[in-house]
Amino acid sequence: MTASRTTLALLLFAPLAFFAAFFLAPMAVVAISSVTTSDGALTAAHYARVLLDQYHWDVLWVTFRIALATTAICVLVGFPLAWYLVRIVRWRAWRRACVILIIVPLFTSNIVRSFGWMVLLGRTGLVNQGLMGLGLTERPIRFLGTETGILIGLVYILVPFVVLSVGNALAKIDTVYEDASADLGVGPARTFWFVTLPLCLPGAISGAIMVFALAVSAYVTPALLSGGQITVFSMLIFQQYSTVFDFHYGAALSVTLLMLTLVLVSIAGRIGDGGRRTA
Amino acid sequence: MQPLLSIETVSKHFAAHQALRDVELTVGAGEFIALLGPSGCGKTTLLRCIAGFLTPDAGRIRIDGEDITKAPPYRRPLNTVFQSYALFPHMSVLDNVAYGPRRAGVARAEAQGRAREALALVGLEEMGARLPRALSGGQQQRVALARAIVNRPKLLLLDEPLSALDLKLRRRMQIELKHIQEKLGIAFIFVTHDQEEAMAMADRIVVMHGGRVEQVGTPAEIYRAPASRFVAEFVGEPNLIPAEPAGPGRIRLAFAGLELAAPDGTRCAMIRPEDVVLVEGAAPADLATAGGTVEEVVAIGPMTTLFVRCGDVLLKVARLGMSGAELQPGAGVTVGLRPAALHLIAE
Repeated sequence: MTASRTTLALLLFAPLAFFAAFFLAPMAVVAISSVTTSDGALTAAHYARVLLDQYHWDVLWVTFRIALATTAICVLVGFPLAWYLVRIVRWRAWRRACVILIIVPLFTSNIVRSFGWMVLLGRTGLVNQGLMGLGLTERPIRFLGTETGILIGLVYILVPFVVLSVGNALAKIDTVYEDASADLGVGPARTFWFVTLPLCLPGAISGAIMVFALAVSAYVTPALLSGGQITVFSMLIFQQYSTVFDFHYGAALSVTLLMLTLVLVSIAGRIGDGGRRTA
Repeated sequence: MQPLLSIETVSKHFAAHQALRDVELTVGAGEFIALLGPSGCGKTTLLRCIAGFLTPDAGRIRIDGEDITKAPPYRRPLNTVFQSYALFPHMSVLDNVAYGPRRAGVARAEAQGRAREALALVGLEEMGARLPRALSGGQQQRVALARAIVNRPKLLLLDEPLSALDLKLRRRMQIELKHIQEKLGIAFIFVTHDQEEAMAMADRIVVMHGGRVEQVGTPAEIYRAPASRFVAEFVGEPNLIPAEPAGPGRIRLAFAGLELAAPDGTRCAMIRPEDVVLVEGAAPADLATAGGTVEEVVAIGPMTTLFVRCGDVLLKVARLGMSGAELQPGAGVTVGLRPAALHLIAE
C-alpha cells in the first residue's frame, strides 16, 4: 500500500516537476525580469517604455493584423480541405497520402520553407513568372517586403493546424445528426449551417487559436519575407534579447505580447462557448 | 383504398451482399407495423430505403401514390426515430423538438408552442431548457419521439428505438408508444429484433430473413400459423415434429403414429408448447397421446417448461405457474395434443 502510494506520488511528481521546470520557471523568470531593474529593484519603467511609445502600438497593430488575417485565411482554406479529406475522399490510400502531404512539411524547418517562399515570391520568382505568363499582370508584383508576402508564408506554414483540428472534429461528428436534420425536412446547406458547423466549431476554434498564437509569435517567416520593410513584435523582442541585450525591456515586451494574445484567445474561446449554447 | 405506403419489388445490395430481395409491402394509414428479424435480415436497410438514406437498386416506393423512390430524405413526408436518438447535442431539448418546424419557416413562438405540445405528449414539458446529455436514456428516447412527431407526419419510422433501454423501462415504453400511436393516428413502422416487442405492439408483423419478407400477418397469424420453419423458430418456441409421406396427400408424424391429410412436400408439423398437455388418467377422445420421459424441468415462476422425450421427438410442454415443477428428470408421463392444433409447415 505504502509502496504504491510512493509510486503514485512519484508518478504525479514527475510530470509536475517537468511542467514546473520547463513551463512555469521560464515564464516566472521572464515575468520577474520584466518588473525589475538589473540590480533587482522593482520597477514599472520597462512597461512604461513599452506602452507609452506609439511606435510599439503601431508594431502591435501590424502584428495582430497579420495574425488575424492569417487565421481567417487559414480557416477559410483549411475548412474545405478538412471537409474534402474527411467527407469526400472515399479511397483510404488517397486520404492517407493527403494527410502525409499535409503533415510532412511540418517536419521541415520553418527557415527552409520561408526561404523557399522568398525564392518563389521574388521579382523573378516562379509566382511572378506564372502571373506574367498567364497575362494576369504586366510587371512583377512586389511580394517581398509586403504584408501580403508575410501572409502567404504564414498561411502556408500554419494551414495544416486548421486542417488537422477541423478534420479531427469533423471525423468525430456522427453523420446520424445530419441524417436526423434531413429527416426533419432540412436541406443539405442549412443542415451544414445549423448542425454540422456548430458541432465542429470547437475544433475550428482550437485550430484557429493555435494558428493565431503561432502567427502572433512567428519570427522566422516575417523576418525572412519582410525584407527589412515590415517589423512585427517578435522582431522587437528578438532585437532586445540578441542585439541590445536588455533582457528586462525584452521581457516586458514579451509579457505585453503574451497578455494581449491571451485576451484575444479568451475572447475567441468565449465566442466558441456561446456558439455552442445558442446555435 | 390507396395504401399510405407501398413498397414494390425493392432490392438493394452492398458490394456482394444482397441486403433486400424483391421486398413487397403495403402499409395503411394509422397502421402499426413491426419489421421483425435477426440482425442482418435487411430490416434496417428497408427502413433506410423508406426514409431516403439509401436508394434501392430496383423497385419503387410510393407514399400516397406518389413515387418517392429517388426523393432525398428532406423531401419525404415522414419522420424517423433513430436508434441512437440522434438528438442535436448543441441544442436544448426544446430547440431540438422545434428544429423541424423552425427550419421549415414557422415563426419562433409558434414553433416553440408546437414543440411544447409534443413534449407534453411524451410527458417531458418540464425538460425543455435542458441539454440532451443531461437527460436519462428513457427521457432522450421520448425527446426523439417528440421531435419526430412534432410535424404530425402520416408515417413514423422507428429504428429499434427501445433497444438501449433496460427491460422494465422498455416494457413501459412499449405500452406508452402504442398509446401515443393510437392517439395520433400516425402509421408506425417499427424495426425490432425482439419478437415479444413486435407481438405486444404491432397490428401486423413483417418477418424478414436474408433480405426477404418471410411472412406478413397479424401477431396471432404469425404465432399460430408460421409460414416457414424460420418464422416458427424465430417467433416463440415451437415444437417441430418431423413428418414423412404416408401415401398420396397424407403424412405420418413421429408422434403417436399420427396420420394426417397434408399437402405434398409437408416436412413437419408445429405445435406450441402451451398446446401440449400432460395427461393423467383417461385421455379425452380428441387427444392424441404418447408416453414419454421427462428430461428436464425449467421453472421460471409464471411458467414451467418440461422437456419430454417421446421416442425420437423432444417435446416442450409449457404449463402455467409452478405446476409440474415437482416432476423429476426420468419420470414417466403421458403427453397429449389436439391434432387440430397442429400447423403443417412445408419448409
